[in-house]
Amino acid sequence: MVAVRFHGRGGQGAKTASRILGTAAFISGYVAQDAPIYGAERRGAPVAAFTRFGREPIRERGAIAHPDVIVVADASLLDDAVAHVLDGVTGQTVLFVNSSLSADLLRTHLSLPEQVTVRDVTGIALQQLGAREAISALLGAVAARLVGLAWEPVRSAIDGELRDLGLAEPVIERNLTVARQCYDSVEPATLPQGTAQAVGAASLHQPTYEPPTKGTARIAAAGNSVLRETGGWRTFRPVLIPDKCNGCWLCFVYCPDGVITMNQEDRPVVDYDHCKGCQICVHECPTHALIAEREQEGGVAWTAK
Amino acid sequence: MWQRETFKKIKQIPRDEHVLPGTALCAGCGGLEALRLAAKVLGDHVVYVNAAGCFTMLAAYPYTSFKGSWLYTTMGSAPAGAQGIRDALDVLIGKGRVPKDEDVKVIVLGGDGSTYDMALSSTSGAMNRKLDFYYICYDNEAYGNTGMQLSPATPFAARTATSPCGLQHPAATIQEKKDIFEIWRAHRPPYIATVAPRYPLDLEEKFARAAAFTGPKMFLALAACPTGWLYDPGATPEVAKLAVETGLWPLKEAINGVVTHTYIPKRKPVEAYLQLQGRFRHLFEPTVQTEAIRHIQEQVDAYWRQAT
Repeated sequence: MVAVRFHGRGGQGAKTASRILGTAAFISGYVAQDAPIYGAERRGAPVAAFTRFGREPIRERGAIAHPDVIVVADASLLDDAVAHVLDGVTGQTVLFVNSSLSADLLRTHLSLPEQVTVRDVTGIALQQLGAREAISALLGAVAARLVGLAWEPVRSAIDGELRDLGLAEPVIERNLTVARQCYDSVEPATLPQGTAQAVGAASLHQPTYEPPTKGTARIAAAGNSVLRETGGWRTFRPVLIPDKCNGCWLCFVYCPDGVITMNQEDRPVVDYDHCKGCQICVHECPTHALIAEREQEGGVAWTAK
Repeated sequence: MWQRETFKKIKQIPRDEHVLPGTALCAGCGGLEALRLAAKVLGDHVVYVNAAGCFTMLAAYPYTSFKGSWLYTTMGSAPAGAQGIRDALDVLIGKGRVPKDEDVKVIVLGGDGSTYDMALSSTSGAMNRKLDFYYICYDNEAYGNTGMQLSPATPFAARTATSPCGLQHPAATIQEKKDIFEIWRAHRPPYIATVAPRYPLDLEEKFARAAAFTGPKMFLALAACPTGWLYDPGATPEVAKLAVETGLWPLKEAINGVVTHTYIPKRKPVEAYLQLQGRFRHLFEPTVQTEAIRHIQEQVDAYWRQAT
């Protein structure tokens, strides 16, 4: 059995990528399963999805604790302790990272396994598809290549999944073309000797209960959500061109998270620790004084949790 | 002609923030935008009673984005929770155990799944008992927190996880959006209003006006939803604007049952709104579903014929 774990941020297509891989494996004649994690999945928040496939019926269910392959849709997740991207990694684990940095550069501040492939899939999507989030087909193709699946089943899996999402024919065609490029740009990896399925009787876990005064999730603090930084969610950051700003307050008013304050000269100041990068301010600025700049890993978004 | 009295200029919107950042809500959430603006008028002397839904993420243990209190309830029971808090406050203040100046406003936060569906009876009960509270429904027209399943607030022809396009139903959702405003109005609460985040002064004015009334103060907020409606998060204000400008989301209030439209749109064709969103994409691709689009337009036209 081969176990592949996908990590992404909500909206990037990690879930669809895992479905594409599962479907492609199934079409190739394998037994396959894929499932996203269920929880507070949110645009920009860390999400995970799991694909297993093999020749024998797969009895395992749920999250993959010991993946053979890890596909990371957003390099900023590597630094996010909450995302648990590198959990269960061994020396043999195959890691793919979507990043504009090189594997060596990533290694300078992270301990990564031996087999690391890095491609700037977001850059390719931006350049060729004109969308920053449309990388599910590309990630699915890369993952399928790493585990050694042939192109034809991958092609029909992408076609089927994107069609189910209701995408138009030309969009699907463009995705297929670019997915093929991504597929060809990586080499099949040397997979670990196949993960053995857990055997033996399941043990029953008895939960313990606390009295309600102790056992409920009561928050005794007020307004402490600011301790949680959401700046790492961004792909693009809003940047102010001060000369163009007419001090109209619209960016401040429309920001859903309230991360823009107006300073004494009526110019917006963005709290980059919390800005999620929705780009509402950029869209709504009447004088185009706010522009979107792609986040460079190593900047604020890279270190923000 | 309806006129704003308190909020005439953008720069009158208070600078203070009462819903703090760091929440796990989606980037570009229209519901959060509406709540943030509302909270600028409501202040910090509040208790939020939150029905399970996307807004659960506002106070996910161990972090809260509120400076005031927050109580979590099931989807069906937030107005009952509000009743309990209001009664407790009234009794404790009456007995002198809580000083009168420490009284707080009780505010229910419910999504459309809760409001239109599961909590309909407890909301009806609270209105019937003339409970002195605010109710804010953030309406993103589906069960969003669980992955966009059909709710009674889902409009005709929107594609959701549980109302996909099929051979039998090529236009996806076949039912019409429930008219919760009229259901509320039948209870004759003193104040009801619809708001949209792209119209901040209209929104602030309505919350300021509601403060004068004792009893149920009901708000229906358009929560344009990039995740579920499938558009780029940056387009949230644009989508909310077109919902209003096409006439699909009327901005109105009802004082003791008397309805006033607070903004009369010129009514752009509904396509302008539908085309922006992936949940309506099947109406335009691969073939244009003229009949379904015409139906939506006719519903809007019929509404405004009786409204004006």
